[in-house]
Amino acid sequence: MARNDPTDTGGLFIGRRPGTARVHYAEEPEPGTPGRQRLDRGIAAFVLLVETLVCLTLWGPQPAAWLWVGSQVDYHAGSVTLGIAVAFAGMIATLMLTLMLAVRIDAIWKVLRRAGGIDQREGALPRIFAVTAIVAALAFGFWFLILEGPAPSLAPQ
Amino acid sequence: MKRLFDRYRQYQQLPPEEVSRELIARRDEQRAGEVVFVPELDLARTAWHEPPHPEAVNAATFALRRRMNAYPDPGAREVRELAAARHGVEPAQVAVGHGAAELLQEACGELLTGGGELLVAWPGWRPLPELAQRAGGTAVPVPVDSGIDALADRVGADTRAVALCSPNDPTGATVARADVRALCERVGERVWVLLDEAFADFLEPGEDSAGLVAELPNLLVFRTFAKAHAMAGFRIGYVLAPAELAERLTPSFSVNAPAQAAAAWALELGDPVVAGRRAAAAHERDRLGRALQGTSLSFAPSAAPFVWLSSDSHDAEAIAAHLRIRRIAVAPGERWGDDRHVRITLRDSAATDRLIAALRELG
Repeated sequence: MARNDPTDTGGLFIGRRPGTARVHYAEEPEPGTPGRQRLDRGIAAFVLLVETLVCLTLWGPQPAAWLWVGSQVDYHAGSVTLGIAVAFAGMIATLMLTLMLAVRIDAIWKVLRRAGGIDQREGALPRIFAVTAIVAALAFGFWFLILEGPAPSLAPQ
Repeated sequence: MKRLFDRYRQYQQLPPEEVSRELIARRDEQRAGEVVFVPELDLARTAWHEPPHPEAVNAATFALRRRMNAYPDPGAREVRELAAARHGVEPAQVAVGHGAAELLQEACGELLTGGGELLVAWPGWRPLPELAQRAGGTAVPVPVDSGIDALADRVGADTRAVALCSPNDPTGATVARADVRALCERVGERVWVLLDEAFADFLEPGEDSAGLVAELPNLLVFRTFAKAHAMAGFRIGYVLAPAELAERLTPSFSVNAPAQAAAAWALELGDPVVAGRRAAAAHERDRLGRALQGTSLSFAPSAAPFVWLSSDSHDAEAIAAHLRIRRIAVAPGERWGDDRHVRITLRDSAATDRLIAALRELG
C-alpha cells in the first residue's frame, strides 16, 4: 500500500501521514551489487552499535567523569558550590557535543542503510536515546537499590 | 576514496528547501499567469469608510450591557443637551431622530401637509424630492449655480419651504452663514428653510450655520452622525428647530439606547476624531486636485469628503464607465440629471492612488 495515500489520514487536513514523505535525492542513486549492499548493511549495523554506545555514555560515564572533576574542583578550591557548578556545566556541555556527534552518526547510518537497499526514511537516534535512558535508569536502580543499598543514613543500622 | 564517498553521497536526502524549490518556482510561474484580482473600490457612497471610533462603540456596548431591559430615554435628553450646548440653542430646540433623513422626512410631512411647494437647491441631496412627494407636496428643483438668490427669487405663494445642503451633496459647495441668514430673511417667516448640514463636520469649526437657529425663527438645521462620526449604522441624527416644531419632529418611538450613548460620546469627546477625518479628507482632496492638474478633469472647490468631477472631453457616463472597468464605482451625475459630472467620494491614501492612476489614463 502506498505510504502517502491521502486516505490513510482519513482525509483530514493533510495529504499524508506526518513523517511518511518519501526520500528525495538529487539524482536517482545507482543501487550497488547484492554483495555490496550486504556489506553496507553490515557497516550500518556497526555504526548503529557505535551510536548506541555514544548515547550510553550520556547516562553513566559522562556524569561520573564530571562528578569526579567537580570533586577535584571542590578539593582544590575549597568550594562545594564551585564544584557542583563545574560538574553541571561540564555535563551540559558534553551532552550537547555528544548529541551533535550522535546526529552525525545517525545521518551516516541512514545513508548506509539506503546504500544497503533499505528505504530508510527516519533516523534511529530518538529511539536509541530513549532506550539507552531506560536501560541506564534500570541499571542505576539495580545498582543503587540492590547492589549498593540505600545511603547509610537511610539504611537500617 | 573520492569514488567511495561519491557512492554514499548520492544517498543523501535533499533538504526540504531544495525539494520545494522546484515546486515554488512552478507555483510562482502559475500565479504570474493568473488573472490578477482587483478588489472593487466603492467611491459612490458617502458614509465614512472607516468604522466608528472604538470609544463610541464602547459607549454603545456599555449601554447594551446596562439598560436593554428598559425603554431608552424617549427624549434623548443627554444628546439633546449636548447638541444644544454645542450649537448655542435651547435643549427644547433639538429633536433627536433615526438619522437626519428621517427627520427631513418628518419635516416634509409636517410642513407640506395639504400640498405646497418645496424648493430644492439643485443638484442637492437626491432623496429630497421624493420625500416631498411622499408628504403630499411638490418638489421644485432650483439650480443654484449663480447663488442661492435664485432660491429666494423662486419663492411663490405656494412655497412652504426651501431646502438646501451645506456642504452640498453632491457638489461639496458650502453656503456661507451670511447667505443662510440672508435667505431666511428674504423668504420671510412664512417659508421654512431646511438646511441639511450632514457634512458640516467637514467644515472648519464656526463655519456652519447651526447656531443661527437661535436667531432665525424659520430655520431648521439637520445634522447626522453618519458621515464624519462614521456612525451610519447607528441611525441617529438631530434637527435644530424652533422649540414647538422640534417637539413635533421628535419621533414617536425613541432612538435606541446604544445609538444615544454613542452619539453622546461623539458630541462630548468626538471632536479630535472628527478633526482628524476632516484633515484626512482635505489632504486627499488636495492630492487629487494636484494630480489632475494638466488633465481635462477638474472639480470645483469642495468642503466635503467627495468631489463633483467633470471633464472637458468626456461626459459623466464615459468617466463612470472608464472607472467601472477598473472596478471603481462612482455616482454618475445623471442621478441628479447632470450628464457632465460624477460624484467621487474620497477615502484613504491607497484609494486615492488608485483613483488618480485610473483618471490619468482617461486624460
